[in-house]
Formats: sequence, structure tokens, C-alpha cells
Amino acid sequence: MAENDSSLDTFPKVLARNVSKFGNSPAYREKEYGIWQTWSWSEANLEIMNLAKGLIKIGVKEGDHVAVIGRNRPYLYWSLVAAQHIGAVPVPLYQDAVADEMEYILTHCSATFAIVGDQEQVDKIHEIQDKIKGLKDIVYVDPKGLRGYEKSNLHFFNDVTNFGKDDNGDLQAELSKRMAKITGETTSVLLYTSGTTGRSKGVVQTHKAIIGASSGANEFDRWSPNDHIVCYLPMAWVGDFMISVGQVMVAGACLNCPEGADTVQMDVKEMGPTVFFGPPPLWERLKTEVNIRIEDASSFKKGAFHYFMNHAEKVGKKILEKASVGFLDRLIYSLGEFIIYGPLKNMLGLTKVRIAYTAGEAISAELFDFYRALGINLKQLYGQTEASVFLTMQDDNDVRSDTVGKPIRGVELKIAESGEVLYRSVGAFKEYYKNPKATQETKDKDGWVATGDAGYIEESSGQLRIIDRAKDVGKMKSGSMFAPKYVENKLKFFPNILEAVLFGSGKDKCVAFLNIDLSAVGNWAERHNINYASYQELASNEKVIEMMKQHVEEVNQDLAADTTMSGCQIHRFLILHKELDPDDGEITRTRKVRRSFVAEKYDELVTALYKGDNEVSTKTEVTYEDGKKGYLEATLALVDAQTYMLKEKSDAA
Amino acid sequence: MSEKNSVIMEVKNINLRFGGVIAIQDVSFNIFEGEIRAIIGPNGAGKSSMLNVINGFYHPQEGEVWFNGEKRPSMEPYQIAKTGIARTFQNIALFKGMTTIENVMTGRQLKMNKNFFWQMLRYGPAIDEEVQHRRRCEEIIDFLEINHIRKTPVGSLPYGLQKRVELARALAMDPKILLLDEPMAGMNVEEKQDMSRFIIDVNEEFGTTIALIEHDMAVVMDLADRVVVLDYGKLLADGTPAEVQSNQAVIDAYLGVPH
Repeated sequence: MAENDSSLDTFPKVLARNVSKFGNSPAYREKEYGIWQTWSWSEANLEIMNLAKGLIKIGVKEGDHVAVIGRNRPYLYWSLVAAQHIGAVPVPLYQDAVADEMEYILTHCSATFAIVGDQEQVDKIHEIQDKIKGLKDIVYVDPKGLRGYEKSNLHFFNDVTNFGKDDNGDLQAELSKRMAKITGETTSVLLYTSGTTGRSKGVVQTHKAIIGASSGANEFDRWSPNDHIVCYLPMAWVGDFMISVGQVMVAGACLNCPEGADTVQMDVKEMGPTVFFGPPPLWERLKTEVNIRIEDASSFKKGAFHYFMNHAEKVGKKILEKASVGFLDRLIYSLGEFIIYGPLKNMLGLTKVRIAYTAGEAISAELFDFYRALGINLKQLYGQTEASVFLTMQDDNDVRSDTVGKPIRGVELKIAESGEVLYRSVGAFKEYYKNPKATQETKDKDGWVATGDAGYIEESSGQLRIIDRAKDVGKMKSGSMFAPKYVENKLKFFPNILEAVLFGSGKDKCVAFLNIDLSAVGNWAERHNINYASYQELASNEKVIEMMKQHVEEVNQDLAADTTMSGCQIHRFLILHKELDPDDGEITRTRKVRRSFVAEKYDELVTALYKGDNEVSTKTEVTYEDGKKGYLEATLALVDAQTYMLKEKSDAA
Repeated sequence: MSEKNSVIMEVKNINLRFGGVIAIQDVSFNIFEGEIRAIIGPNGAGKSSMLNVINGFYHPQEGEVWFNGEKRPSMEPYQIAKTGIARTFQNIALFKGMTTIENVMTGRQLKMNKNFFWQMLRYGPAIDEEVQHRRRCEEIIDFLEINHIRKTPVGSLPYGLQKRVELARALAMDPKILLLDEPMAGMNVEEKQDMSRFIIDVNEEFGTTIALIEHDMAVVMDLADRVVVLDYGKLLADGTPAEVQSNQAVIDAYLGVPH
């Protein structure tokens, strides 16, 4: 297999292999008119070839950038592949991007053609057409609403495919000529990063990189042509490109496209994917939905649910990991599978899921364990656009919520002096498009790429742990590592804690600010007959402070067990008298803490925490929603939290 | 909106009375094939009565209805529906307990030829027929973007979506003329925009002739090719939106006349 793989270094070769080896097995499925339509690899190949010829006919040249914009549909995935076949470079764009955002990317990559899903996208391009000079023609898949449009530079997708069907041999000759020129080093796709720090950058990836990373990941989790994948995440996102194009094609698996954005959850049930990818917020949402429905169920059902879920928490993970579990426990678990777990998984559409992935953000252990206890093999992976995603993945019997796994085949990791994670891999990007300066800063001459994340490799397990964005990481006075986000995440995993800010860089100990989650703690207060009139009053309640203290100490205990992070234990903390608010500039609109701003604004509170006072009076300027300013006065309790010595697992609590 | 010169429907000198109440008095107008024709007027002007005359629910005491170039004899509503006239209602008239697809399928009922026996057994030719009709219904569901509520009972849907399901059911009849009685009543701005877009799409893609009653003047002026204005059962004006808007009688009827 390995020899076979290395000869397959371009997508045209991969597609040809799929046709000859899995010609009749399903390649693409889409629900249309309420019925699942299926294309086998042979049929899909025909569509792609005709489309490729049609694109040649309408004038797409080698090296042209072809923008692909729309929801996940087979036609658009074929467009990506067809563009690759004719030596053009597909550039998938976010379909919900507003015209301005599209303008930036279309101008930056000087796209000459666009293949779009529907009228909405055509309209957006028309809106900015004057500014994007290079763009010639638009191909649209769904003709609805476009009847009255001026058609001179608009093509109906089916018409383009028909050019290929009606070909008298000329187009085929040109196509063959172009395909022969494609090598592993040819650019296969241009993917734009999300651009959380400044403008998004165009990442140039070759055929060899995408295929190399995909086959490494496939090999790791044993993908086969029998696997079914559902695509529902934006096509412009690197993860979707890797899974829906890279991995699916390399494995010869089947890609399932839902009917529309609103039907995904229903369609997933019918598709029965075997591999499923979801970011942490999705897993969180599904679990919340389950909990809400259970709260509304009859007391008998509720009782059964809680009984079996408790049991699953106890033994489910062990059973999934094939550890030894007593006969009686197994028996109860199988009964639970029949009564609760099975139907629940069915409702979520995860019955057939062999592997579920989560990535992108930290996920709480509790959330992670909920799914694993149900018998869903949820795993973490770590990667980035520049690496064709896959850097590290987790083995089936070595899955944890706090690490992201081991490097897969073809990936070398090393930790820089600064603590930043560096890698060298088959999937590493060629360059940032039209940005040699950024390329040089990120990738050195030996091919080591900087991730921008700080992390370390855990000695006991060999797994990578990501701590924080590298630029936030500092050192404590003692020289041990200070990683604020890592600790804050641990705190925020408690539903009662909304926000947390950790201080301590260059100091001998850490202190923290907390924001309680008003809805969660408010709910708790109601059930415990605690009266409160405002956030401030609830936040200064003794019982709430006691609860926060317990949470903090739990986190400390966790940190104590961890050699690298034990220095970050929280010695003292306070609950802020107001919620951190984007209106006050304390957090961004996307709820990321603006660390330095907060440190400056609340300097007297930090000082008081370090001084060892028991309470502090403060007056803070606040901005109300209508823009008016006011002052908030409060006396805050400064709380000492127990810290723990670094030792093997202890039961200090 | 292509060929607007051929008349598909014409009403001539319609008089409709309920006892002593004169609902419609000597009203004549025509509808061109493929156009969007609006009927407007203040409350009680006789707009809904006019639609009811067109689809045969009311039988006018005097007057003629010409359809497809022939004078239409007195018929029952279901017979008229078979000739290709479909409608939606001011107050949604769906089967609330049934799902969207079931409701839309009822719109095809008149086109199903297999007898009751086969349909009841759901066997043999009835299955083929159902598949073929289901396909058409699915196309309409896709067209109106209600796939996600295909299997939801319509009673539990929000108002705007129910209106859309009703439009889908009317379209399922593959009508030549579609009568819409206040398709946007009670909708918020966004729902109105959606509905307007669907009405234009239906008109353009399926080439369906549309006659609609609507109160929102902005909507009417945007959508309609020609407008009929009724007031107290009488024809007040007839013409393009611009003509109607500048007609003094219409302005007086809507804004009142200084005394």
C-alpha cells in the first residue's frame, strides 16, 4: 500500500485510481427532491471530466485562479477537482462572506473565473464586479431566479458540462495535454486563513502536500472505501477541504451532502456517517439539546436516563477503550445501550460513527467524556491550514481531552526554545500567496514551520499538549512556565464561570479575576433560595464565593499533578463586580480577553491581591448600552485558595 | 412576463349581490397571460368577492367569465380548479394535522386518475402515480425552500411558513392562473420580502399567471404589472402601477376627499 501511495501524488491520479479500483462504489451522495441521489466513482469521474473540458471551452487557462463559492454540494466539489485537472487553482470562499470580504480575496488572488452555487452569490459578485478587474465569467449551479439576468458572462453549470459531453475530441486532447503536466509539486489549492490577526493570508498547497497529509491521516485512523462522511462545514475552511476532498478521495470513501443548511441534523440521521467532524461548540450544543429534552421528559424517563448515564460515566469509557470491566457492569451497560444510549445516538445521527473528531478549540473533559461514555469514539486532533491540517492525532486507546495526540506519519515535531511548537511535514505549505515576508517569518530554510502555539510533549505519553498562543506565554519568577489561557480554559470549563483572567507573568505566584455566569449561577441560586437583585449582589454572595473557591481549588489540584504547569496554580482570586464587556473594551466582540487592557484598568485590584489584603474598595467606570458612562462602586472580597504541592495523585480534597 | 398581449381571463360586467347588498357592480377587466395582476381597494371593496367569482365559489347574478378564449359555463369550484385555477386563502386553510408534504400532495389530488380502490390499497398503478406526483411536489418544495419542514405538521409552523406551504399546495396543481388572497397579510418585513421574491420567481420560472389581492401598496407597486382598483364594488381604475398611482379617483378613495 505504501508504494502505491507514493506513486499517487496528484489528484488526477487519485481519481483515476478510484475509478479503476472502486468504480461502482458510491462516491458522492446528495439529497435532492427528498431522495438520496448517488454518483459512483465512475459516474463522478465522467461529470468531473466533462466539467473540466467545459471549463477549458469557456476559457479557463492553466494557472488561473477559480473561485468556488457555495454550500456543500457535489457539483462544487467536482468543480474543485475539475479545476485541478486543467491545471487551474481552485480557491474556495466562505459562502456567507459579505461582498467586501469577497472582494479582498478575489482581488488578492486575481481570480479569473468563479463557480458559484446560486443567485445570491452571483448577486454578490455583480455588486463588486467593477472593482475586481480580472474576473471574466461566472458559472452557476442553481438557475433559480437568474432567468432575467444578462447572460453574456454567466454560464449555467449544466451547459458547461454539456460542452464537455459534446466535445469532438479537441477538448479531450487539450485536457490530456494539461493533465500530463501536473505533478506533485503543482499547486492544488489556495486556501485563505481565517485572519483573526489582521488580513487573511492565502496558503498555497501542492497536490503532494494535500495528498500526503490526507493519506497519513487516513492510515492513522484506517479509513476505507466503506466510510461515509458528511460535509456541512464551510467549503472554504481547510478542514472541510481536507476531509471532503483530500481524505475522501484518497480513501475512496463516500461524501454525503445534506439537502440544505436547515436540514443538516435530519439528514445526518439518514446518512449514518461513519466519520464525523464537529468543532467543540457543536458538541456542546448537541449535549445541551439532549439535557433540555430530558428535563422536559416524564419522571420515569428522566430517572432511567440519569441512572444509565451515571453508569455510562462509570464504565462507558473503559468499555470503549477495551479495558477490563466486570460482568455485571457490562450487562447493565448493554441494557443501557438498548434503552438509552442506542436511541440517543440514533437521535443524534451518530449510531454508525466509528470516529468522531473535535478540533479548533479546547474542549472540556466533561463534555468530551459525555460522548465517550455513550460509546462514541470522540478524539482530538491538532493542525492548521499551513500544515494541510493534520499534525497530531490520537490513537483509539490513548484518547484524552487535554492532549491532542502524537504526530502522524510524515510529521516531525520539535519545541523551540521559546516553547513554540514547530513542525516539518509532507503537508507543510509551499508559501503564502504574494507574501514572501510572512512566508519567511513562518517557515525557515530547513522547512520547519512555526505554529504560533506554545506547547510541549508530555514525557509519559508522548502526546502533544497545546498550552496557549505563543505570544501570551511567559515565565514565572521561579522560571516555570506561565500560560494564562490554559488555566483560564480550565476555569471556564465550569459552567458557573463565564470568564477568567490570570495574572502572574514575572511574579512568584498567580492570581485571577473571575466572572460568574449569571444564568447558571442564577439558576443555582433560585433553587437554593438565595435572593439577589443584580450581578454584583450575586457575585458577592458568600455561598457563591465559596463555590468559586472550590472550583479554583479543583483547578489547582489539576495543575499540581502536571509538572510543567504546577507553577500556575492560583493563590488568590476575586470575583469581579461587573461582567467583562466589549463595550468597555475589556474583551473583543468575539469574547477574547484583552489581557493588557484589563491588567491596566484593574491595576489596583491586582496590586491588592498581591499585597494580601482581605478586601478592596474600588470604583470603576462603566459604559452603558446607550453609550452613557457611569461609575460602579464595590467592595470586593479577596479570597485565598489552597494550592497543592507537586506530587503523584493525592486525595488532598 | 414574456408575452403579455394574449388575454387568458376576462370578466365582463360582473354583478354580484347578496340580498340587498351589492358586492360587485358592473366590473370588467382582463388578465394577460404570464402577468402579475393586482386587485387593490379599501376594506369591503369587493376584492375577495371578485376572486371568489373567478374561482367559481360565487356565482354572479349577471356577467360573464371568459377563460382561455371561451365563455365559461356555470361550474362548481372543483371543476374550475381542474381547468387550471388555483388559489390561496386570506386565512390560511391548510390541514393543520398533516405534514407539509402531505398538504402539498393534496394539491395534486385532482390530477390523480387511478381509482379510489387502488389508492386505498396503495398498490399497483397507484404507486407509480404517487411517485410521479411526489416528484413534482418535491420540486415545488425545493423551489420554495421548505425542505426542512417537509415532515413537520403544518399546525406547528410559524405563520409565514404556513403561508408558503399554502402557496406550495396551490402550485402543486400546476395552475394556469394562481389567485393569491392577501399572501402577505400579517407578515413582518423580512417575510414579506421572501414572499415577494417567491411570487416573482413563480411567475418567471413557471410562467404562471398571478392575480393577487394585497394591502401593502409598496409591495403591489413593486410586484404587479397591472393593477385593478375597486371601491364599493365598482371599478375605480385599471392600469399600470404608475398610472393607477397618479389617478385622482384612486387618491381620493384612499386618502379621502376634502369636503
